[in-house]
Amino acid sequence: MPPILFIFILFNFVDLFKLAKYPFMAEAKEWVKEQKVNIEEILFDELYERARQRGIERVKQALEKGIIYDTPLINDVDCAMEIFSYPIARMLVVAVESDYLLRRYALAEAKRAYENMKNEEEDFISYLAKELGVEVNGEKIHFADYLKYAPTWDMKWKLVNRELKNGYVILSKNEVARLIQEAIRKKIYSELSYIFAPPEVKKVFRNEIIAIKSRIAFKDKSVKMKEVKADYFPPCIKSLVSAAKSGINVPHVGRFTMVTFLNAIGMSIDEILKIFSSSPDFNEEKTRYQIEHITGRISSTVYAPPKCDTIRTWGLCYPDEYCRGIKHPLFYYRRRRK
Amino acid sequence: MNFLRRKFYSYYLQPRIEFPDRIERREYAFILFNEDTMHRHISFSSKEAILTYFKANVPAHAYYSSAYYRIPSASTMKEKQWMGADLIFDLDADHLPNIENLTYEETLQEVKKELLKLISFLTEDFGFGKQDIRIYFSGGRGYHCHISNKSVLELGSQERREIVDYITARGLEIKEIVGERSIYKDRYIDKRIEIYPDHGGWKGRIARGIINFFKQIKSMEREDAIKELMKIEGIGEKTAEALYDALTDERMRRIEKGMIDQASEFRRIVKPLIKRLAVSLHSEADEPVTADIKRLIRLPGSLHGKTGLRVTKVDIDAIEDFDPLTHAVVFGDNMIKVNVEKPIKIKMMENVYELKKGVATLPEYLAVFLVARRMAVA
Repeated sequence: MPPILFIFILFNFVDLFKLAKYPFMAEAKEWVKEQKVNIEEILFDELYERARQRGIERVKQALEKGIIYDTPLINDVDCAMEIFSYPIARMLVVAVESDYLLRRYALAEAKRAYENMKNEEEDFISYLAKELGVEVNGEKIHFADYLKYAPTWDMKWKLVNRELKNGYVILSKNEVARLIQEAIRKKIYSELSYIFAPPEVKKVFRNEIIAIKSRIAFKDKSVKMKEVKADYFPPCIKSLVSAAKSGINVPHVGRFTMVTFLNAIGMSIDEILKIFSSSPDFNEEKTRYQIEHITGRISSTVYAPPKCDTIRTWGLCYPDEYCRGIKHPLFYYRRRRK
Repeated sequence: MNFLRRKFYSYYLQPRIEFPDRIERREYAFILFNEDTMHRHISFSSKEAILTYFKANVPAHAYYSSAYYRIPSASTMKEKQWMGADLIFDLDADHLPNIENLTYEETLQEVKKELLKLISFLTEDFGFGKQDIRIYFSGGRGYHCHISNKSVLELGSQERREIVDYITARGLEIKEIVGERSIYKDRYIDKRIEIYPDHGGWKGRIARGIINFFKQIKSMEREDAIKELMKIEGIGEKTAEALYDALTDERMRRIEKGMIDQASEFRRIVKPLIKRLAVSLHSEADEPVTADIKRLIRLPGSLHGKTGLRVTKVDIDAIEDFDPLTHAVVFGDNMIKVNVEKPIKIKMMENVYELKKGVATLPEYLAVFLVARRMAVA
């Protein structure tokens, strides 16, 4: 009784294989609906055991590796199981009730899509982008959309370092894919923030939920704390911190300087986040995500604080008597802390 | 102050206010004569209501919010419920170098240069049409540039900051805009820099800036050219001479094609040139006001309490012709007696006035200007 196996072409280039690779697409949701499978079947029926195992794997890989790896997709059954595993993984994530997992999972799904997108035709990428509300015109994107999704904390993504002409930023195919990754992450994260897991989910995945929770607790503890002495911050950092605390808009490069510095001296994400919380347009989700990125909590790169020369060209340097001979803000802190 | 208030009242009986779009969604704020506090969180439902307020209160300064809110009269940001905001650039003289030695007219001329640079960024790079950009003389020492294009209204302050960083070249990385190639010769490596005049963005801007700069240098006499080169920070006489003497016709042709051979001397020129090409929007340490999504901006058509000049729209195609001390003047030429406290020379309404300390009988427009600037008493 294989109920899942009808093949239909949804769009010229959106077939079952595509849906398996991009299960967050509206067409995938539609396809799942068309199968008329109810939630009990998905959770309990033997037929879907493979999908359930893959769902658990998705969440575990997201937590441990920060990305979800592809599985071989040979035939339609493979694809169907892969597609079903996505809503299962989502239910599991929500059932764990951890915002950390939620963020990490959304990013991992988005990263997987990014890796796959690199091998796609331009047409499909534009189609996918459009579905996510991003208007991509070949390799051009309007600057307003660009600013919404570009990781501008990274210097090479700052608008000023981009080719901007007549309102459009010119990008390579991979860069377009990178922007769409961010749109996907946002979409998944915001969807998951609003749904609740059906009670059966907690029952079926009882053991997995306990295991995942303890892994999250372990990961949180692994971030060790050093005592932070704010009195010994260099004047550039002091002025940035006090500006941010009093709700004044800190320029982007200033935020970057401050976050990388505070992270390097061992301040926790929550403490850093607190500094920004009086900003007039404070958006906890967005700010946390950026901080986690810059500090390497959810990404692989830990950004180092800029050196004094750079801080000076950004117009953020107000040296005091201890700055003489100092080339890096961390040296200032370490020297005075002794 | 009664003199100024009386004069302002006469204007506000029949003012030429330019109302913002979505009047009822904006917050308004006023500073009244003889008061220091700002009256904030005021909202109006119609043009008539605004005009009535002006007549009844005769404010010295009038502002409205670049943002529009669901409830503009609420007293906290949260209750106001931000819906979006125009993109506003504020060009003010305060931070420009050596500004304190300039007269009021020269000061405004300097700000105009920055304004023209800004408009070039907004039209060529950001692709705004001239119809999207409204320019206003602030009534004080600067210009405001308003953009209400749909694409920018919902940008948050971080996104707006990226726009500011773009036009001020903050965070610009030279390695992203010029190429560096090593050419291996028999025994040594020749470093060459490549620039891209046909590209968009800063890549193209800096390339065209460099080419124009060298063209200008080449067209000058040797002595003048070297002087001009030495104006650049970090260029001494020797480097300047070397740069000028190497600038043969052949070299110039290569530069125009984007190939620059004197890599090490050249590198010193790039940064200072970027600074010249960028817009000097505000002092670097300042809070970038453009990124502020809830700021207040002077209401077009209202009077500036410290000059008596009108916040006046400037035709984007006729910026050069705009003379604040003619076009932003609202008062007439009835003669009024005032006591001038400081000698001053000023050109207003096309007339040049040279005033000494003491009692003088002056046209109303000049009297208002001087009293507002506290250079005379009525």
